[in-house]
Amino acid sequence: MQSQTISSYQTPSGQRVEILKQSFPSLRKRPVKKVAFVSGLHGNELEGVYICHLLTKHLSELQRTQPEAFQGEIHIYPTVNPQATAIGTRLWPFLSIDYNRQFGGPDGNSLASKCAQELLNDLKSSADIVIDFHASNLHLKETPQIRITEGFHKKLIPLGVHCNTDLIWVHPSLPMFKSTLGYNMNQSKIPTLVIETGIALRINQNFSNRILLGMLNLLYQVGVIVTNNPPAPVKRPIIVQPSQVIQVHSKHAGLFVGHTDIKKKIAAGEVIGEVVDAQNGQTLQEVTAAESGFLFTIREHPLVYPGALLGRIAKIT
Amino acid sequence: MKETILSIQSPLGPPTELVQFTWEGVQPKNTISIVSGIQGNHQNGIYLCSRLVRFLNSVESGKEPGYYLKGVIKIIPTTNLSAIQEGKGLWSFHDLDMNLAFPGNDQGEVPEQIAATVYRQTKDSQFGIILQSGNTHYNDAPHLLCLNPDGLAKNFARSLAIKNAREPKISSTFRLCLYGQWVDQMITSVILSAGKPNHLDISLCETILPGLINSLLWSEVLGNDQKKPIKYQLKFNRQSNEQFVISNAGGFFMPIVKLGSEVTKGQKIGEIVDIHSNTTLESILSSSSGYLVTLRNHPMVYQRELLAILLGKPKFPFWPIK
Repeated sequence: MQSQTISSYQTPSGQRVEILKQSFPSLRKRPVKKVAFVSGLHGNELEGVYICHLLTKHLSELQRTQPEAFQGEIHIYPTVNPQATAIGTRLWPFLSIDYNRQFGGPDGNSLASKCAQELLNDLKSSADIVIDFHASNLHLKETPQIRITEGFHKKLIPLGVHCNTDLIWVHPSLPMFKSTLGYNMNQSKIPTLVIETGIALRINQNFSNRILLGMLNLLYQVGVIVTNNPPAPVKRPIIVQPSQVIQVHSKHAGLFVGHTDIKKKIAAGEVIGEVVDAQNGQTLQEVTAAESGFLFTIREHPLVYPGALLGRIAKIT
Repeated sequence: MKETILSIQSPLGPPTELVQFTWEGVQPKNTISIVSGIQGNHQNGIYLCSRLVRFLNSVESGKEPGYYLKGVIKIIPTTNLSAIQEGKGLWSFHDLDMNLAFPGNDQGEVPEQIAATVYRQTKDSQFGIILQSGNTHYNDAPHLLCLNPDGLAKNFARSLAIKNAREPKISSTFRLCLYGQWVDQMITSVILSAGKPNHLDISLCETILPGLINSLLWSEVLGNDQKKPIKYQLKFNRQSNEQFVISNAGGFFMPIVKLGSEVTKGQKIGEIVDIHSNTTLESILSSSSGYLVTLRNHPMVYQRELLAILLGKPKFPFWPIK
């Protein structure tokens, strides 16, 4: 494994912060493909950081025991917003800037914007396929899923099916996505899968191990890793179109108490949870599933305002 | 008239309320919207709105000699109330920059509902002003931001009695900010930026207030039979004439120039000194002449950070015709 610094800067106290790329080179002069894994755009999303750890561990062992397996190149960027990850905050520290809203525009003046440009350029020169790991925010727990912006789906779904996620959600293109890493890589014709799994500031080992298996399978399927022992078969995800996703919102302010976890088969009318008044002992809303389907998002943060997202159900046709 | 245009219940404590002040003349032709507090720690804009509210209430009750209401004036002073009350730029419950939430969503989370309400209340205006301070850790000399202004927009900008206007950058998030939405709606509008976050500069606000009142006269939402609106001189600066001064070392930034002054080529702007030993790590020199419109306010700087923005001399004194 080779380590390379793609961006660096000095803190006010003179220490150096480095954004690192760990690379596993190909045995071939012309690599079959180049695959990159990115995590930590939001510093409080640790699931991807852990998946990168698992990948690095697995690939290091493979490199030691079967170096001939590496027919393509693999690049891992485990913590691209290292100061935010170090303190567990979503935003780029000191400036409160969302790092994943710094891509795609003209060169900005902030340090975050410059590092974003360097990351984008490095990925464009290093990868044919990119996987961008995200957890959810502090409010919601997500089943392992791939999110694809409509328009890129034809190219991305054939790759996404190898990743061992529960579902692939094709969602409409919204202006807010145009400043993200994933959107801009896809715009540059480099297929980029955005994986969402778990919740911020937590690691779900079950989810991480499933994604690890999916990533090894993807590397195998695209010919980057060729071994005598192919990875275990992965599950085929449910592919969900925009019209199939139903959002469940709170009608009241209060505390949301969930009665269920993520659930593959929830029946219409089944109770998801309740919103209770924090002060007077009343139940304000019994939250039920409007349709049968896959409850793939569930609220974890109990404090809710009217309009707060409590869950998402994918209608399975 | 003060009205609550949105009230969102809170799990505990008082609701989040969005208030709007409205004045209407007898035969309104034009409407102007003035919005501040999109970032919770931009206090100059909120203060300026409070001064305008006082002045306009006084006009309405006949206590400002000569002035009378002609059109519709809407002021939304405390857009991001939760962040304002938390003393932060962003409301920490969501960590969402409200200026990336427009045009908003009535069915969405709190910042999206607020954005949707502000947008709906202002989108039919003929004129708009967004009041803000400099970005986090920066101090702005009063200046305007306006995109590709036509003749009307230039004259509106000139009525504000501010000396400089800049072109905003069209970033990938431009369409998510209120100004971007106003541009889409063809509202003749500007952003007025002055001062720094987390700071109220009353004397600065008092110098800006007469220009704001003049802009109300110019846009014909306010009348005064003895007083005609003044067209002030305003320099329109192009992005290509801006010079960005960047740090090559991390440490304490010690500026020695005054915000809002003219800096000459080679002039020392300041120093970066080691935070432990106080030794000089870098002397910051200006590579060209220009007007110092933005200066780093927070003394601690990282390497590769923006320290200052200079507006260079344009080749042509007028905004180029496209």
